[in-house]
Amino acid sequence: MIIGNLKSNYAADEAILRSWPLRWGFWAAIAVALIAPQFMSGYQLYLTTQATVYLIALVGLNILTGYTGLVSLGHGAMVGVGAYTTAVLANTYGMPVFVTIPAAMLMTVAVGLLFGLPSLRIKGLYLTIATISASFIIVFVLETWESVTNGDSGITIPPANIFGIEIVSDQQKFYFILPFAIAAILFGQNLFRTRVGRAFIAIRDGELSAEIIGVNLMKYKLYSFAIASALAGLSGALFSYMFLAITPTLFELPISIQLLAALVIGGVASTLGPIFGAAFIVMVPEIVKGVLGLLSGGDMSWAEYTAPASTLVYGMLIIGFMLFESQGLVAIWRRFWRFVNLWPFRP
Amino acid sequence: MTLNRRTVLKGGAALGAATLATPYLARAAAHANKEWILRGSIPLTGPFAQAGVDGLKNTQDWVEMKNASGGIAGKQVNLQYEDSGYNPTTSLANFKKTMSDDVKPHFYSGDSTGFMKLVQPELSRTPVLNGGTSFATDLADPANSPYQFITGPTYNAMAEINMKYIAQQGGKRVAFVYSDNEYGRDPIEHAKKIAAEQGLEVVHEEVTDLQGAEVQTHVAQVRRSNPDHIFIHGYVTSVWPQIIGTARAFGMDAKFVGTFWGMELVIARTVQEKLGDALDGYAGVMPYRYFYEAAESPAYQELAAFKTAKYGDEFPGYITTWSLQGLATLALLEKVFTDVTEADIEPTPENLSAALGKVQGWDSGGYFGLPVNVDDHAINQARVYQYSAEKSLFLPVSDTIEV
Repeated sequence: MIIGNLKSNYAADEAILRSWPLRWGFWAAIAVALIAPQFMSGYQLYLTTQATVYLIALVGLNILTGYTGLVSLGHGAMVGVGAYTTAVLANTYGMPVFVTIPAAMLMTVAVGLLFGLPSLRIKGLYLTIATISASFIIVFVLETWESVTNGDSGITIPPANIFGIEIVSDQQKFYFILPFAIAAILFGQNLFRTRVGRAFIAIRDGELSAEIIGVNLMKYKLYSFAIASALAGLSGALFSYMFLAITPTLFELPISIQLLAALVIGGVASTLGPIFGAAFIVMVPEIVKGVLGLLSGGDMSWAEYTAPASTLVYGMLIIGFMLFESQGLVAIWRRFWRFVNLWPFRP
Repeated sequence: MTLNRRTVLKGGAALGAATLATPYLARAAAHANKEWILRGSIPLTGPFAQAGVDGLKNTQDWVEMKNASGGIAGKQVNLQYEDSGYNPTTSLANFKKTMSDDVKPHFYSGDSTGFMKLVQPELSRTPVLNGGTSFATDLADPANSPYQFITGPTYNAMAEINMKYIAQQGGKRVAFVYSDNEYGRDPIEHAKKIAAEQGLEVVHEEVTDLQGAEVQTHVAQVRRSNPDHIFIHGYVTSVWPQIIGTARAFGMDAKFVGTFWGMELVIARTVQEKLGDALDGYAGVMPYRYFYEAAESPAYQELAAFKTAKYGDEFPGYITTWSLQGLATLALLEKVFTDVTEADIEPTPENLSAALGKVQGWDSGGYFGLPVNVDDHAINQARVYQYSAEKSLFLPVSDTIEV
């Protein structure tokens, strides 16, 4: 049983991983992430990589919505800005990955700030509606600015090239994207130990009181939009290098809704929430489909019934989690570690 | 059992655990050397579920019929399709799952223009012959996409036939109504170009949602432009009938012309039941014979005999155009598989693609009106049909036209 986290110096007090189970758990997770792809099929790697790409976007959305309290339904479109910036630079201008990824982040920050400006005057539902409008506008531009985006035909992207190695296989793509995801998570965790992150939380918990204690609302709200957009841009850039072909349809409103749902399911305003959320939205529909396929014995004549049943079960699972675990999947995780810490006593 | 947080979470954990075993248990055994393996992603849920479910049933029947008569070139056909929900990334997940299997398929069916584009980079790494429900113009491009093909004319070709038909009918002012997605917009630029060549003035463009469009507002906009013809494209089961019905209710007498996915008899008859003769005179492009023209199609007769034997009176004697597209693809695959077998070459994706490109003068058994030439991985021939409210049928009003 762990009876407390005893600290004898300032560094220990500042540590992110404050107990040995957390430290071991973190390194074990990294080890699993590095080794597991060796044993995974292309399909399993595809899902894992897709979840990793969404995870980066979710870290950004968590900063904006979870910590700053600015609900956005335009985040999927921001991912699209990053994806298209990368695609255009890589395809049309032959830019390397070292240029395209920072450029995608910068471009998305610029667009994010533009659409973040209304947040200075409106909040709550009104801001959410404004972000939906942003989503429509961005997708409209992607569809109609044909000379740059190639319209509905979309853009094919050359594979990322790292020091002469083309990132083509499923394993390469995963290993290419994983460090960005780890960096994003660590960045998200660290941000809230800084003055900027604490200002975000102050804004979320009460704009008036935040302003009274000296938080510049305009400045920090725009910071929040900028950081969230930068991570969306990074996610979009990696999205391009993962799929190697993109069309505007991929960044329409449903993806923004999906990202917000993932955040709520995973756990808002927590570091691990985006990880659980990303895994949930990508893996669970496939899991449900797989189970129902198993129950039907792979018999095609059942497909017309199992397919809608999968959608129904997935929807019910989401409702179930909201009803029975409203703090998100991260709450289960916390209870598990409380159990481990206090074992053999019951928490 | 009490329904509380613990039971729900335990249930969720059990579901997850059961799934871990799924990939190892649920796959149908497949043998690449002994079978023709067909895999696909089809919308069994989502906006096109009605067409997807219908298409799957008829595809299964066709496979059962072929297998009962010895298969194709001596090999049985092994079919497995999965639901896509009409979501390109879900379809791509299905594709990756299929291509992760040790035994690779000979053909993979895709379900949307979005997926067919998303899968193009994957095809260069894990090649497989790839067709589907989309007639998108970009897919008929063997130089850049050697494994993809269209069993019919491209949307551009359909639009071209429509514009020429309107010009022949003496039309002068044409309005475009199409859905706000890549499928809806695909042929619009080409249609404008052909309209200009034919001396037609495009007086209005109305863009609607794929589903749940506010039809009255859209029709009111179109009416203000006073067109004599309206080109409508980009829908499957809904919106297009409501637009035509509302236009008639508004007193518009402009003639509507459509494309393949808006030419289904089941929908037309439903509209007629609800709205009377609103669809009378509606014309559009149809690459395949309707199933009620089976007298001219030995392939249709064979399938009808099989389905009558299997279902008895439950078989209505009609197969939807949505299904005919899939069945025509299967017939074309049968031709390609047979050619490869007779030439005694391995049915690799490269060889199958090459064999597909060489199909010339093929007797399709009546799916198409003329002998089939696969040019640039598409079959650019079709006929204009017009709906007759009196007979409740789409009747041909042109010869088969090659574009």
